[in-house]
Amino acid sequence: MKLKPLDIIIIGLIVFFLFGFTHISIAFILSSSDQDQEVKSSQEDQAPQAQKQTVQESGERINKADQKEKGKEEGIEEEEKTIEIADPLYVWNKGVYYFNDKLYFWLLKPVAQGYSAIFPEGVRFSISNFFYNLTTPIRFLNSLLQLKMKSAGNELIRFVVNSSVGVGGLGDFAKDKLDIKRHKEDLGQTFGYYGVGHGFYIMWPFIGPSSLRDTVGLIGDAFLDPVNYITPVQDSLEITASDEVNDISLHIGDYEDIKKSAIDPYISIRDAYVQNREKKVKE
Amino acid sequence: MSVRIKKVKTGIQNKSKEVSMRKVLTGLHLFIFLIFPFILYAGVPLNTVEGHVNKVLSVLRDPALKGDSSKKAKKERIRAISDKMFDFTELSKRTLGTNWKNFNPDQQKEFVVLYKDILEGAYMDRIMTYKDEKIIFHKENVLSDDTAEVQSSIITKTAETPINYRVILKDGEWRVYDVVIEGVSLIKNYRTQFREILANKSPEELLKILRKKVGKA
Repeated sequence: MKLKPLDIIIIGLIVFFLFGFTHISIAFILSSSDQDQEVKSSQEDQAPQAQKQTVQESGERINKADQKEKGKEEGIEEEEKTIEIADPLYVWNKGVYYFNDKLYFWLLKPVAQGYSAIFPEGVRFSISNFFYNLTTPIRFLNSLLQLKMKSAGNELIRFVVNSSVGVGGLGDFAKDKLDIKRHKEDLGQTFGYYGVGHGFYIMWPFIGPSSLRDTVGLIGDAFLDPVNYITPVQDSLEITASDEVNDISLHIGDYEDIKKSAIDPYISIRDAYVQNREKKVKE
Repeated sequence: MSVRIKKVKTGIQNKSKEVSMRKVLTGLHLFIFLIFPFILYAGVPLNTVEGHVNKVLSVLRDPALKGDSSKKAKKERIRAISDKMFDFTELSKRTLGTNWKNFNPDQQKEFVVLYKDILEGAYMDRIMTYKDEKIIFHKENVLSDDTAEVQSSIITKTAETPINYRVILKDGEWRVYDVVIEGVSLIKNYRTQFREILANKSPEELLKILRKKVGKA
């Protein structure tokens, strides 16, 4: 059976109502703090805008076309209103941000650099692919939960192909040869898909930027990550850490670039996180 | 006489023919003018952006400009292309949003220059490292009468990163006023930062911060 977009919408609506008021109330509680902020900021923006326009109109001679353009611009600004996230834990978050920053520059980056000196890039890509392949259950289940049958199917095919032809997931045969893309769905996105807001922003040590919603998602997804079932716990943690170092070794310079481009890196990262998650939820 | 009458008659007939021809022509004109905008704009934003990007790539891949010695020349050429490709005033206006009006004309001018320097400082080095990366242009979406979004992705060894260019039509040219990478809009990201600063600082103080950032303090 092929699902058309309309079918998905209808099924989505049915599920939405099946979840009922409990779901809506949870979503409301979680997102209400965001909305309050947005409303406030838009009110603040509009008031001075209106004032200024009247001043301009009475003052200088403005072409009709100009005015029209201005109206349009303001319309776009309204449309492109920056989505703000509540940040009640600002002090904690900023502290953790500095901690992570130092952690990266003093420990993780040098370790990752030493690590890349030993292992060639190809090997590191394979290791990254291997761990990525292991977490297929997370993406498969979340695709299903979001009724994205095609993504779920693709993830399944990717897992079968890459585990066999790709030698236990070391190679990404599905992407390279069959052009089956990765569908990075997670539980945070699933919550978002059903209308749950971020709640508020949280910066976690080691993990980095997150939100209340996405943290709950991370915990849920952790149950589907086979690495977390390895005993003793120490081994599991060591494997997670080496996976982390491996990933960092492939992305040295990204964080530096963000820091260099930003006027206020903390806010830049917070905003980028929200925008990026927004896009992933919409996809 | 009869000949004359005939002549007059044919004249009238000609006129009526002319009228009907005119009707057809105006109809055709209307039709053409209605369709024209679509023909005119379809593909132009995409081709414009793609053209600029290809020019940058050809500079980066130019064998005559290899090595560290020609780095400066390379940068100079890329800068020239980016000046044509981007509308930095529009970009600045949209970044500041409602705050733009709180800057006086001189401050606005300085802001545009400083902001451009910051963006260059942030992205030039990254762009200079590109060599074998593949850039694919997908399609364009119309956003409004005079704005469109051109979708592309850059394929590196690690990943495929979607990069969307938002362009605006000004004086017959489509110019970029926003770049959206992985869903993160450049101007929105800076807007959040500037808004936070301007919440308790004056435009002059913001300019001071920017001057310091680009080393023009």
